[in-house]
Amino acid sequence: MDILTNLLLGLKVAGEPYNLLVAFAGIVLGVIVGVLPGLGGANGCAILIPVTFVMPPVAAVILLSSIYWGSLYGGCICSILFNIPGEPWAVATTFDGYPMAKNGQAGRALSAAFFAHACGAVLGTIALTFFAPLLAAFALRFGPPEVFGVMLLTFSAFVGLVGKSPVKTLVATAFGFIMASVGIDIVSGELRLTFGLTPLMGGFNFIVAVIGLFGIGEILLTVEEGLKFEGVKVRMRWSDITSTFTDMRRYWKTLLLGSFVGVWMGFKPGGATPASFMAYGFAKESMPAEDRAQFGKGHVAGIFAPESAAHGAGTSAMIPMITLGIPGSPTAAVILGGLMIWGLQPGPMLFVDKPDFVWGLIASTWYGNLFGLLVVLAFAPAFAAVLRTPFAILMPLLIFICAIGSYAVNNRMIDIWYMMLFGLIGWAFKKLDYNMAPMLLALVLGDMAESAMRQSLIMSQGSLLIFLQPPITLPLVIAAAVIGSWPWLAPWVRRMRGTEGGASAGH
Amino acid sequence: MITKTADIIVAAMLLCLGVIVGWDSYRLGSGWGPEGPKAGFFPLVMAVVAIVGCLVVIRQAMAGTSSVKGGKLFVPAGGMKPVLTVFIPACGMILLTEVVGLYVAAMIYLAAYIKVVGEYKWSTVLLVSIPIPLLFYWVFEKIFLIPMPAGMFGAQILRF
Repeated sequence: MDILTNLLLGLKVAGEPYNLLVAFAGIVLGVIVGVLPGLGGANGCAILIPVTFVMPPVAAVILLSSIYWGSLYGGCICSILFNIPGEPWAVATTFDGYPMAKNGQAGRALSAAFFAHACGAVLGTIALTFFAPLLAAFALRFGPPEVFGVMLLTFSAFVGLVGKSPVKTLVATAFGFIMASVGIDIVSGELRLTFGLTPLMGGFNFIVAVIGLFGIGEILLTVEEGLKFEGVKVRMRWSDITSTFTDMRRYWKTLLLGSFVGVWMGFKPGGATPASFMAYGFAKESMPAEDRAQFGKGHVAGIFAPESAAHGAGTSAMIPMITLGIPGSPTAAVILGGLMIWGLQPGPMLFVDKPDFVWGLIASTWYGNLFGLLVVLAFAPAFAAVLRTPFAILMPLLIFICAIGSYAVNNRMIDIWYMMLFGLIGWAFKKLDYNMAPMLLALVLGDMAESAMRQSLIMSQGSLLIFLQPPITLPLVIAAAVIGSWPWLAPWVRRMRGTEGGASAGH
Repeated sequence: MITKTADIIVAAMLLCLGVIVGWDSYRLGSGWGPEGPKAGFFPLVMAVVAIVGCLVVIRQAMAGTSSVKGGKLFVPAGGMKPVLTVFIPACGMILLTEVVGLYVAAMIYLAAYIKVVGEYKWSTVLLVSIPIPLLFYWVFEKIFLIPMPAGMFGAQILRF
């Protein structure tokens, strides 16, 4: 079968010693980055993109994606031991992980989380291997109106399904697009929104935005509770791992459900966070009563569900990234940006033009995730110890590293100032329920979305009807309209069906 | 300050920003040009969306139907001090970077922070704040060949 041949080709590429070394380094770096609050997968990748300029693109993408997997594994260490979610999707893990840690079951909790990640990774990688090429073949038939339709659907999914306030998500997305327009217009060459100021001529770079929004902003939020990162001590024992195998056999349905929810939701942008909460909710509901009472006090299935969902979502976020050029998560957005910097055009043509690159990446997710599991199982206490560096030393170091990352992108001092500005924005937005992920996505995809729209309008001589053409664009636009207005439609639909519209749990 | 006030202030600032963007886009030309929509079309649409959105947010905040609990304190009690203790020195370091370059500024920043906030002995302070930026200097400047800002005097200070 074509896919298997390609996979073997990819395994050969990814199996070269240099690439293996790079993957291993990426995993270790990723776990460290995932453990530290303020540096997440997106941030870590962003800071290291300039380093990848000296590598061949295959090695570069393997490095970045390995950092991604590592950060997924590392994020739960912070949640379980320190009750600080390293990333938004790790919040659900703190519900049961931290209580378990406080009860002296930290090793068991960590081991459960790691294996849950591995399960999510397996399902996600299977989806990536078999589903991505099919999607790419389909996407080859996309023209500018179809691309714009996909973008519309992407962002309306954010507005309609993710986050607590659809209006604020809309506002954040709009500003993301505005920021993307600052600078030189691609089509006409005019300067836009620069107001005669030289620093604005270069526009805003998404790497700087990521480091500021997700890095500095997260640090500012964490220290509100005090200038400290306190944690539970842990030692991994063999008995922890074996007890996890027993747990896995007992709760295999939870694992499968969590992974499946994750893979399905991760496909859509911003999917990891709601996926983890959804999986937690489903798992809790499907438990017999005495188990359900334990949720929130330290039930192992309360870790299995969100963690497998989060990793499944993280992995499947790569699918739309490489097939359609639409990243499914902020970290995938950074990797996408990296692809564009290296001169590769993400999308269906990548499968055709550079199969060794794409399949090398897909193959590397197979063993990269395996490395990740082994590395975290072996070194979890060591990684946790990194966080026990005293705050007064760790914090300025983090800021120093972030500053390096921001400057390295374009060699401009103003970027380091932008980083602090984005940090303030991220801090305030997080507190006011403005969703930052669509803003970041809009910044990354803004140029692409705008040129798709402009090309479509040129093709149609100004008629908006081109966006309503079957067979592909019309369903996309209709789906976008329905999903985008779901927050306002949902109560109405529920009333029509005759079910209670009352208080329903939001995401 | 309670969240409701912060909500309204932020939305109002975003509203002004949206108006400025919209005005500039209109000036650029937002209609149909020789090669399709003019440069200002897309930003203007986005600005309009932003303005309408901000108006709704302000209204929601005032009516109490916002998704955030308006009565909650925006920053937990005593929370502003640590935030500023992180933010202001960081800005100070960046300001220093303009003068002496990133690595020297980082050394000063680390030393000052560890000494003042961490209250460690001078030996610990120097042990951490000097070698670590130097290590980064070696890795980034010499191995990866990625230059960092040198400021006005940085090149003279780090001559190797």
